[in-house]
Amino acid sequence: MALITDKTRDEVREIVFDFFAEECEVDKQTIHDGTNIIKDIDGDSLMFLELIEIFKKKYNLDIELKVIGKYAVKHPVTTIGQLIDMQMLIIEHENHLLELER
Amino acid sequence: MVEKVVVTGMGMISSLGFTLESNWKNLVEGRSGVHTISRFDASSLATRIAAEVSPGFEEFSRNYIKKRQAGQMTRVTRMCVTASKMAVEDASIDFDATDRRRCAVIMGVVNTGNSSVEKDTTLQNFVFKNMSNSMAAWISMEYRLNGPSFSVNTACASSAYALALGFDLISQGKCDIVICGGADSIVNPEEISGFNALYALSTSNDLPEQASKPFSRDRDGFVIGEGAGVIILESFSHAVGRDAKIHGEFAGYATTSEGYNIMAPAADGEGMAYTMREAIANAGIEAGEVDYINAHGTSTELNDRYETFAIKKVFGDLACKIPVSSSKSMIGHTIGAAGSIEAIITVMALREGILPPTINYRLPDPDLDLDYIPNIARVTEARVALSNSFGFGGHNATLVFRKHPS
Repeated sequence: MALITDKTRDEVREIVFDFFAEECEVDKQTIHDGTNIIKDIDGDSLMFLELIEIFKKKYNLDIELKVIGKYAVKHPVTTIGQLIDMQMLIIEHENHLLELER
Repeated sequence: MVEKVVVTGMGMISSLGFTLESNWKNLVEGRSGVHTISRFDASSLATRIAAEVSPGFEEFSRNYIKKRQAGQMTRVTRMCVTASKMAVEDASIDFDATDRRRCAVIMGVVNTGNSSVEKDTTLQNFVFKNMSNSMAAWISMEYRLNGPSFSVNTACASSAYALALGFDLISQGKCDIVICGGADSIVNPEEISGFNALYALSTSNDLPEQASKPFSRDRDGFVIGEGAGVIILESFSHAVGRDAKIHGEFAGYATTSEGYNIMAPAADGEGMAYTMREAIANAGIEAGEVDYINAHGTSTELNDRYETFAIKKVFGDLACKIPVSSSKSMIGHTIGAAGSIEAIITVMALREGILPPTINYRLPDPDLDLDYIPNIARVTEARVALSNSFGFGGHNATLVFRKHPS
């Protein structure tokens, strides 16, 4: 289990905002925690997978996609804020993510 | 009740331009879009020429496709989606005021162009770029349409078949609007090498603009082209109900199979003749009413010979009086897109009263003696025209268009 610091959270937040601003061609200033990824900025579910790949490389994470998939089924992500929260959990718990369910 | 089918929108991209207007202007002026291949180093290939869409297309398409979606499409799919959006704009359709369940998309797709020269293919987008249904899917998603959406592959007749299937959906009352057409590019080393092995391509590399010479004695094979052509088919009653501009009437068609050979057309154009006869009957017209034929006219030895023989079989003594031209002399053979691109040219010919020429017609073939509209466009009062498409494997289609009074 990784130690999450404020710096980590800020980094993740910056990467997520930059990613969506770039991919969805929207002004970064208009994105906030409550932004709906599909309805507000015309995002798609594949972006979630691409972000996971980015974080896997950046933090050298040991996590299988199927683990994230099982978790996401019970905890669907629709907003930027929810997505950042889930990314933090993934970084913190990696393949032990599902143990949060127990 | 059988619904009359009309054309209310068109979008076209080819080596001669990114818009219908620029394409039409260049076609009427008899310009060639064939040049030395620029997308990759073709110096080791027997054929080093093609009618490529200009690199400026990428910037042009950004006006129509968001970056995110563009990254999940091949260049060919972007051509299809861009042409579709131009066609919808041309038709001035407000889908919010339309029953989306009665709107369909049918695309003729031989392949999506995800070849060795396609850029930026990754594991993440490979599947989307490769899906042969992707063109129809992107368009139905763009407008949130809920009618049928699918692709059809009948080689070089693919987008003509798409139009034929769209005709049926409307004439049978199942849809009000069908976005039909196709896009294609086989300008890549693998396809060129494969067609070279079949001796199907021109090798007139030194004179690219003169390489595609349908019906001429010195024709030496087809020149590969690329592009997209999309037509909005609409029921006449629906078009009139929204006061739509009507480009022309789609009067009927025939789709047939030769059941003969994977590459060569049946001897003496028997299958081609059968297709044209059936189309004329389906449109409810007499052979004598046909004023123009936009030929398949590939510039290959057999196609041009047999298509000429077929026209003679169908029209008899009238054959030599019917103007026939091949747009492939200017834009090359756009394969899966050829049927819809050439249907657009046929509709434009009737609408504008100008028949585009067969360029590079300098040496008449003594056996081929029809009026091929040599080299210079012709002003005409044509009212009914055929557009022929004949694909490898014996997939034949003839579409019949009629000038609309508007």
